[in-house]
Amino acid sequence: MTRLPPQRGERIDRRRPVDFTFDGQRVEALEGDTVGSALYAVGQRTFSRSFKYHRRRGLLCCAGQCPNCLVQVDGAPGVRACTEPVREGMHVEHMNASPSLDFDAMRATDLVGGPFTPPGFYYKTFIRPRRLWPLYEKVLRRAAGLGRVAKSRREREWRTEYRRRHADVLVVGGGAAGLAAAAAAAELGADVVLADEGPAPGGRLLAEGGQDHAREAAEHARRAGAELLSNAPALGAFDGLVPVWQGDTLHQVRAKRHVYTTGVIEQPLLFPGNDLPGVMLSGGARRLVSLYAVKPGTRAIVATVCDRGLDAALALIGAGVEVACVADLRADAASPAAQALVRRGVELRRAATVLEARGRGHVQGAVLGARGGDGHERVMACDLLVVSGGGAPATSLLCQAGARTAYDAERGVFALASLPGGVYAAGEVAGHGELHAAELSGAVAGAEAAHSLGLGDADSRARAVAGSERLSRGPVGPSGVAVPPPVAGDRGARCFACLCEDVTAKDIHLSVEEGYDSIELSKRYTTTTMGPCQGRMCQLPAIRLMAAETGQSLEQVGTTTARPPWQAVPMGVLAGRPFEPAKRSSIHGRHRELGANVMWAGDWRRPYDYGDPRGEALAVHDAAGLIDVSTLGKLIVRGPDAGEFLDRLYPNRLSNLRPGRIRYGVITSDAGRIIDDGTICRLDDESFYVTTTSSGAGAVYEWFSWWLADWPLRVHLTDVTQGLAAVNLAGPRAREIMAKVSAVDCSSEAFAYLDGKQADVAGARSLILRIGFVGEVGYEIHFPAAHGEHVWDALLEAGADYGLRPFGLEPQRLLRLQKMHILVGQDTDSESTPYGAAMPWIVKLDKDQAFIGRWALERAAEEPPETALVGFTLPDGRVPKEGAAVLPESGDGQVGQVTSARHSPQLGQVIGMAWVPAGLARDGAEVTISDDGKRLRARVVTKPFFDPEGEVLRS
Amino acid sequence: MSLDFLVPSTAAVARSPMEREALRARARLETRDGWTVAVSFDEPEAERRACNETVAFADLSWLTKIELQAGAADLAAIVASCTGGGRLELGGAIRVGGAWWCPYTAERAVVLCEPGAAARVRDRIQEAAGVAGGLASAVDVTTAHGALAILGPLSRELFARFTAIDLRPQLTPVGGFRPGSLARVPGAILREAPDRYLMLFGAALGRYVWTVVSDAAERLGGRPVGADALEPFEERVPEAASHA
Repeated sequence: MTRLPPQRGERIDRRRPVDFTFDGQRVEALEGDTVGSALYAVGQRTFSRSFKYHRRRGLLCCAGQCPNCLVQVDGAPGVRACTEPVREGMHVEHMNASPSLDFDAMRATDLVGGPFTPPGFYYKTFIRPRRLWPLYEKVLRRAAGLGRVAKSRREREWRTEYRRRHADVLVVGGGAAGLAAAAAAAELGADVVLADEGPAPGGRLLAEGGQDHAREAAEHARRAGAELLSNAPALGAFDGLVPVWQGDTLHQVRAKRHVYTTGVIEQPLLFPGNDLPGVMLSGGARRLVSLYAVKPGTRAIVATVCDRGLDAALALIGAGVEVACVADLRADAASPAAQALVRRGVELRRAATVLEARGRGHVQGAVLGARGGDGHERVMACDLLVVSGGGAPATSLLCQAGARTAYDAERGVFALASLPGGVYAAGEVAGHGELHAAELSGAVAGAEAAHSLGLGDADSRARAVAGSERLSRGPVGPSGVAVPPPVAGDRGARCFACLCEDVTAKDIHLSVEEGYDSIELSKRYTTTTMGPCQGRMCQLPAIRLMAAETGQSLEQVGTTTARPPWQAVPMGVLAGRPFEPAKRSSIHGRHRELGANVMWAGDWRRPYDYGDPRGEALAVHDAAGLIDVSTLGKLIVRGPDAGEFLDRLYPNRLSNLRPGRIRYGVITSDAGRIIDDGTICRLDDESFYVTTTSSGAGAVYEWFSWWLADWPLRVHLTDVTQGLAAVNLAGPRAREIMAKVSAVDCSSEAFAYLDGKQADVAGARSLILRIGFVGEVGYEIHFPAAHGEHVWDALLEAGADYGLRPFGLEPQRLLRLQKMHILVGQDTDSESTPYGAAMPWIVKLDKDQAFIGRWALERAAEEPPETALVGFTLPDGRVPKEGAAVLPESGDGQVGQVTSARHSPQLGQVIGMAWVPAGLARDGAEVTISDDGKRLRARVVTKPFFDPEGEVLRS
Repeated sequence: MSLDFLVPSTAAVARSPMEREALRARARLETRDGWTVAVSFDEPEAERRACNETVAFADLSWLTKIELQAGAADLAAIVASCTGGGRLELGGAIRVGGAWWCPYTAERAVVLCEPGAAARVRDRIQEAAGVAGGLASAVDVTTAHGALAILGPLSRELFARFTAIDLRPQLTPVGGFRPGSLARVPGAILREAPDRYLMLFGAALGRYVWTVVSDAAERLGGRPVGADALEPFEERVPEAASHA
């Protein structure tokens, strides 16, 4: 146990123990611990195995920035132990090691496989033989995976949701600058949200002795009215939308202004053995001490390029860690921290760095010396090697928002060069690292953001200007840094540039040798920066290596493109709640009660059948059937020019339709192709009731609206699709059933085929259309959707004595096929004209009115179509698949296809529709259909299979 | 022929598209104005608490909805005539005589009112349209839309779970009317009072919308409430409220 005495500002609650298991072993932790701190406190030093070489990896950053501590928590893989709070009873397991974390068989890859696994080896090795790829893929995934997702849905069930949050100002980052920005903007009246990835606002202050200051700053921001989100990393910047992940919630923050105070990311140093457990960033070591009271080691060596490392050394001494030596790459470091270390008797080696880390399974010593080695190296024992390669501005989100960076040679980092409008940067990411400067820059940015929204007054503007001037005058940057070399030392052991993907400095060298000599190409080839850290730890080292290999400057090498997500995020969080928008008719509940099998039909849920499609279809012929057709599109077209409007949209003539009469119509595109069909009933001189296909309702409404916006016609259009229920009562007993529920005279004389009448049906005011999609005498009854169940129930009750049965979509498809009524989209495609679809009669080229598609249809009329839609019968009884090929009489290829086919119990044979060569579109012609390789001889039919003359329909 | 077949009849039972969901949540139904209405869920205290402390939702699909179309000038004249000089501006609705006048565009609006007031509103529209003289159309679309009242201090948090429409008071004050995407389907939100909203959506999507709203409300400690639970809040809906 390496738990320290109480530390000021520690996050743990020593009175509240928490137990969890790690690889089945019980671990005692304290409330406030992370999995990482708790495990470290009980002596665990290896947390995971690396991606490719299965090397041991230990805590490095303790801030969720690196990939070294990924574990599986309660079945969820890829969880960072260093930031995951402990919970009572949680099950934590290691990842990517088998059979155990301490003994991993795949470690052989590291011991003997190195020469055989250069970058891109899998591209070169596993491409032949191709048939083995599925096997390779399994093996590779198992060997190099990042954990496994539970297969069982129940195990993966996790409630997540979106929360849309509009704001005036979004501040990303909850350190000193972020809190100051949030407070400043909120005090000026802005609606402010602050998103911080840490468990509490304060950023570095929390681990560096500024807990009280952080608390006060957070309270100030809250009092001002800012909403502070903790444990809430921003995932990306998408044209003003910033998704922020907080536990099981994805905040979709849409703010008018964005202030980024994302700070810097402490960089590792590159030297042989830099991935050994026990090599830790200075910030990581300090967090362990101050937040979790965990002693990170007993004897430490510190290698740094800036004051961060010196401050860490002092903190370690304060925690009782022996600091054997501090190697500062700067030749002239003379900061107060350096002086304090000397006063405490710590050996401070200037112009020196770490050249190699040594040890088996854990750091046991380090070689220190001048960069590149000068023959005066010194080997020192230690169990903790604290490194700091300086801070690289965390500009990724800013770049996604449109900011530009440029290389700052003095600091050795890519710094902000320009910001887009509405985006502000403050704090260390903008070069203001010292506390006072960070807060001032935050306050200025917050105020400027608010001012740009018209908030504040002359005084607040004057204060912001003064603050801005002070920032530009003062020495606000960090104290001097030394730019570390690409690699310190050259001693054989692996030197990792990318810890996520196990890419070494040598791999970068090889990739350049192979011609991948730009940073973007190298990224794709070696996968550097593509792992869980998203370049936090490896982008700058990779750029330095690339520059050294190619002889370019770092500016010339440039950075890789910053892409979201900036933080690894579970897919479930992005998915949100699993609700699928589904339309249901007002009778849907009754269908369920009747045992309907329900299917998707466009965006509707509809009954496929009620368990007996064959019997349901026969009932329509023998007695009567009732089908819910509420899904049909329904439009009211009203106005003095309604007839002309429809004449312009349909190729047939509708303005001469008499009130109370119905006409079938197809809608054609301007290319003369069929895009939808339906019926049009004239209600009165100025009103038409138009139905469309179920799936075409929305498109037809838009099509009508689009043309109406262009044509100066006095017409109004109303979509009543969802407002009206509709059922089709069809069959030889339909008339008798109608007589029981309505006073309307349904005799063929009074209510003829293609008549439309208004009447009450079971008390509901209805529009009754006498049409016959299924071939029998039929009444399509349209009425307010709210009466859906009422009318349905009344009809079923009235028809009970007549053998009335409900029928679903499948029987309907068979029945309409018997009549050769087309289904647009199934029997037609994007090239089908009314001529090809055997409906030349519907095109009225002799009407005066120009109509959509006229020009194309005039040409189509002059040139007979190459193929035609016909019916067919199949004597051998096999039902071909829809889409089966129609073959030419001789030779290869395909000359048509089957669009619909069913066995008709009524007719006792297989029937269908198909596109065939126009020359074969005659009764009795034979065509060959290929169905799954079997050749079928079909006989062409050009008239409906059932009631070819329409006598039943009109009776 | 008229368009009477669009209007629910009192001679037949009219049901909300969410009635079955309400029944599953143990609603008590009563017939009012020809509609079966979820009047309560037999937990008055819990319903009152949800309305006052968290978030509550109530099915108001039975509200009459009349779609009014006319040229911009004619529509303005009709609205002015029917509302005693009221003027519609996009983004805001006005309430006069218990009816909300909500503009979708300068040429299209929907009027929401109690079923009992529907005939009077329709007559006034017809009368005003006649005076305006231009082409005007009033179509009853009551059954084309489901309607849910959302009320309580967490109303906006509830909406945040399924819509990106900005309902902050500075953008959607009382009387604000915001058509847009609700739970990924077309709809509209009317802010009737500081903590009370009415959302409209396609009637065929009723079950889906109920599921989404119910799920989100439950997460926030809210619940469905009956129409009776809204009565104490009716007085908080101001007359002549207007975004403008």
